[in-house]
Amino acid sequence: MGKAMIQREGAVMILGGGIAGIQAALDMTDLGYYVYLVEKSPAVGGVMAKLDKTFPTNDCSL
Amino acid sequence: MITNADFLALEGKLGNFTAKLNIRPRYIDADACTACGLCTQYCPKHHSDSYNEGLAVTRPIHIDYAQAVPATYYIDPASCMYVQHDTCQICVPVCQSHAINFNQQPEPRDLKVGAVILSPGFGKIASETLEKFSYGKHPDVVTAYEYERMTTASGPFLGEIRCFSDGRHPKSMAFIQCVGSRDLGCDNGYCSSVCCMYAIKEALVTKEHDPEVDITIYYMDIRTQGKDFDAARERAEAIGIKFVRAKVADVTPWDNHLKLTYSTLDGQHKFDAHDMVVLSVGLESPKDAGKISEITKIELNQYDFCKTETFTPLQTTEDGIVVAGAFQGPKDIPESVTQSSGAAILASTVLKKQRGRGTVNKEYPDELAVTDEDEVRIGVFVCHCGINISSVVDCPEVAENAGGMENVAYYTENLYSCSQDAQEQIKQTIKDKKLNRVVIAACSPRTHEPLFQETLKDAGLNRNLFEMVNIRDQCSWVHANDPEAATEKSKDLVRMAVSKAAHIQPLPEQTVPVIPKALVLGGGIAGMTAALSLADQGFYSVLVEKSSKIGGNLQNLKNTLAGDETAGYLKTLTAKVKRSKNIDIVTDAVLAQTNGFIGNFSSVIESGKGKKKKEQTYDHGVIVVATGGYEHRPDLYQLGKSKKVVTQRELETKLAGRAKNRAPDSIVMIQCAGSRGEDLNYCSKVCCNHAIKNTLKIKEINPDSQIIVLYRDMRTYGFAEDAYLEARKKGVIFIPYEVGRRPVVTSKGAKVQVDFFDTIMQEEVSMTTDLVALSVGIVPDGTDELSKMLKLPVTASGFFLEAHVTLRPVEAAVDGVYICGLAHAPKPVEETIAQAQAAAAKAAMPLVKRYVTVDPIVSSVEQDKCIGCGICVSLCPYGAIQMEKVGKKRKARTVSASCKACGICSARCPTFAISMGGFTNEQLTSQIEAFGNNVASEKVMAS
Amino acid sequence: MSDNSFSPKILGFLCNWCCYAAADAAGVSRFQYPPNLRTVRVMCTGRVDPSFVLKGFLEGADAIFTGG
Repeated sequence: MGKAMIQREGAVMILGGGIAGIQAALDMTDLGYYVYLVEKSPAVGGVMAKLDKTFPTNDCSL
Repeated sequence: MITNADFLALEGKLGNFTAKLNIRPRYIDADACTACGLCTQYCPKHHSDSYNEGLAVTRPIHIDYAQAVPATYYIDPASCMYVQHDTCQICVPVCQSHAINFNQQPEPRDLKVGAVILSPGFGKIASETLEKFSYGKHPDVVTAYEYERMTTASGPFLGEIRCFSDGRHPKSMAFIQCVGSRDLGCDNGYCSSVCCMYAIKEALVTKEHDPEVDITIYYMDIRTQGKDFDAARERAEAIGIKFVRAKVADVTPWDNHLKLTYSTLDGQHKFDAHDMVVLSVGLESPKDAGKISEITKIELNQYDFCKTETFTPLQTTEDGIVVAGAFQGPKDIPESVTQSSGAAILASTVLKKQRGRGTVNKEYPDELAVTDEDEVRIGVFVCHCGINISSVVDCPEVAENAGGMENVAYYTENLYSCSQDAQEQIKQTIKDKKLNRVVIAACSPRTHEPLFQETLKDAGLNRNLFEMVNIRDQCSWVHANDPEAATEKSKDLVRMAVSKAAHIQPLPEQTVPVIPKALVLGGGIAGMTAALSLADQGFYSVLVEKSSKIGGNLQNLKNTLAGDETAGYLKTLTAKVKRSKNIDIVTDAVLAQTNGFIGNFSSVIESGKGKKKKEQTYDHGVIVVATGGYEHRPDLYQLGKSKKVVTQRELETKLAGRAKNRAPDSIVMIQCAGSRGEDLNYCSKVCCNHAIKNTLKIKEINPDSQIIVLYRDMRTYGFAEDAYLEARKKGVIFIPYEVGRRPVVTSKGAKVQVDFFDTIMQEEVSMTTDLVALSVGIVPDGTDELSKMLKLPVTASGFFLEAHVTLRPVEAAVDGVYICGLAHAPKPVEETIAQAQAAAAKAAMPLVKRYVTVDPIVSSVEQDKCIGCGICVSLCPYGAIQMEKVGKKRKARTVSASCKACGICSARCPTFAISMGGFTNEQLTSQIEAFGNNVASEKVMAS
Repeated sequence: MSDNSFSPKILGFLCNWCCYAAADAAGVSRFQYPPNLRTVRVMCTGRVDPSFVLKGFLEGADAIFTGG
């Protein structure tokens, strides 16, 4: 995920950088595409980054 | 990655969209910012910390949390004194890397993309809805989001829970469920599907903090329908968390307590006082849902979530735009992650022709040969990390000290070792000083090792000739008050690393080619969807079906809860599968044997019956397990004994038929028949919806039919809640029963009698009825044998276990094996489809890449030393060691592609024949010895 | 080092995925703890051969810590 300004073929835009967007971005990269992950706030992570633990295993969520 | 950006417009169509964005200035140059945090310390203005739900204050210039990505601070223009009032600018000179730039302007940006994935998440319930619970009026009423931050050890209160009113530790707490969900008062008729889980989680965490706290969860239905979720609820009950089935009317302040008014099922009004009240607020459609819909032209459903259909759960109403996560409907993290992978494969299908054209491949110089004969020349670089390290640790002293060590050819310090110029300098130094090992003392290898290894590669050194010393996260930051000891510790750690580094050997980068074919086990909806998704990507699969016909359980269903007809869909799907050139269907077939590992499996399939029986061997790179499940037939409630007792599936078939009396005048349905503690220990997730679907069908055919549903918790989560409401409106009677008092069914001539305790009227009821329908649950099919064959772990209930419940929901612990459908857990068809698409996405990855890279830190067996005892094989949790015949002896061999580098084999090998790349006995021993050197010298000094 | 207070030398084996990660997290949160630990990172505590522990004691460690 570089910052290159050139227009790329085989690119996808993902709107929203929460856990769903991040996972989709990783998967699209692994499937061989260039990804623009667009997030409105200053950092990706969404709500999951605010969670302390996750159900039901109470794993750390970060 | 583009952050701080607004989505303004979308033009064009599938394959050729142009998205217009506006990137708001962050006023900090992301390339220069080192996230040292000095600016925040100096910024004079306070700013409500939204990351901590407003429970803490930060500064306008800040970063939400230490692990934020990008790890760049930003300035919130709303409260920055310079942006607002043209004053201050204290941060500008403070920043040592000159990253602050108030000249940044909003930047418009156009993106040319072939497809769009929408994952904008969810919104928050309006605070007006929370007012009746005294939220905003009394400080001790908090939302679950706020409470989450309060319990977090790294949160604003370090995990210590106190009442905001007077600082006391709460002794009695209440969780109120369904706040802003299942509530027509705020137009959110749906169930948010996650609140029961997080409430239980937060209650459990609270109990961990303080076992004395009294916790009550006020609920209507506890909807822990997910895989193994009921177990957590039982755990909560076992440690004394109280569950009260009641609707809370309001919360009012009462002295320094909060008084809850609630009504229980039997119509009583009760009051109770608590110290703190947590509101389990639901998920709403995202705030900008309307705008997204306007820009992209996608349709929304009645609750402003993205509109999708049962059989295409991730497809929006616009071609080329797919959806994932909570915007598709309220859901938890595993579901969201699953949908994201599914959405990726859909987007990938759209873009198939352009695959790989946008990605960048980097080239490296040839690797310098480093052998045992070469003199060891170690370069030590000590990073100041701005002042993060150097304000505590005496970096020059650490570097100087390293300089005196054996094999160290060069030492120096960097202000920021990770910065672009320092990287260049390191590369140059490696060449100039002919270094063949590099030790960097800086932050954590977990975050920065890949970066520095990249630098080594650029300089022509094998990336494993590198050792990192953590003198920031595990030294300067945690010993801030003891600079002297921190410096000593740094010196010791560097010495241990140098000592280890002397023994590091270059490790070859290993890649294993992948056979670009898949084996899909199970020809039900999950298997078919997965095979088709792979076929759409251009990959061939063999679809193995146990029965004589593909179609699976969907053949038994007539329509979905949303009203879609299943037969039509199934017909189209099977036709597509049969027509596909990329899918070979083998029916009456089972997997007899599998060997190999990711990229290179070889499987024997037995197919046909009697004389036609044959065995075929297929080579393939991945396995998708979609072996499904089937209806559980409990020997309970007269099932199989009385003709008047049927399962919901049988009832559905009957209702779809033409018999005149197919919808009799009186029907009793019993939920959780054989589930949740009877024969089966889990919730099958689909039965409540199935029952509701049938009640609506009955009411359609025979509106006067009297239907009583006896249940424990109605789990019509998500938008299915609407159907539950509709059933109640149509006169279906729902009565909960208690586990200790399950209904009793007895045959009475042509009719059946049901005895149960009516918890609403508080009396025993005995009634005869025309029909009893049982919601019986789902059991997995044949997971036992398959789990042994593929070394796949299963849960206590016999379903396949995913690699990580939250983050890797469709991958198995064994690489190259993916799970979907009922074999993973009971789930409705919509979720099965999304999961099958996700499994296909994951399975496609190695196929797309055509090779798998193996981290060189895997184990390797020196077969000369191996005595063939096989201890390693039995201990390896990943099935990554196999025995093979070498001459006449049995020898162990590592399957590098499956190895996870844990080292258990190496530690247990009685003859030390197994070595771990990067963590050899020699290396670790010398590291321990280096630790010892120091201990010895100090003991001398002390004596 | 002062003689009147016991200041043990502790050797730690930390699992990369959990304990080492936790130690990093402690740093990020700026938790303070005594500077007596010297760590060896391993990819899993399964890697820790019992002989490493004995070796650690032989080399003069007062205590061995394994976290994983």
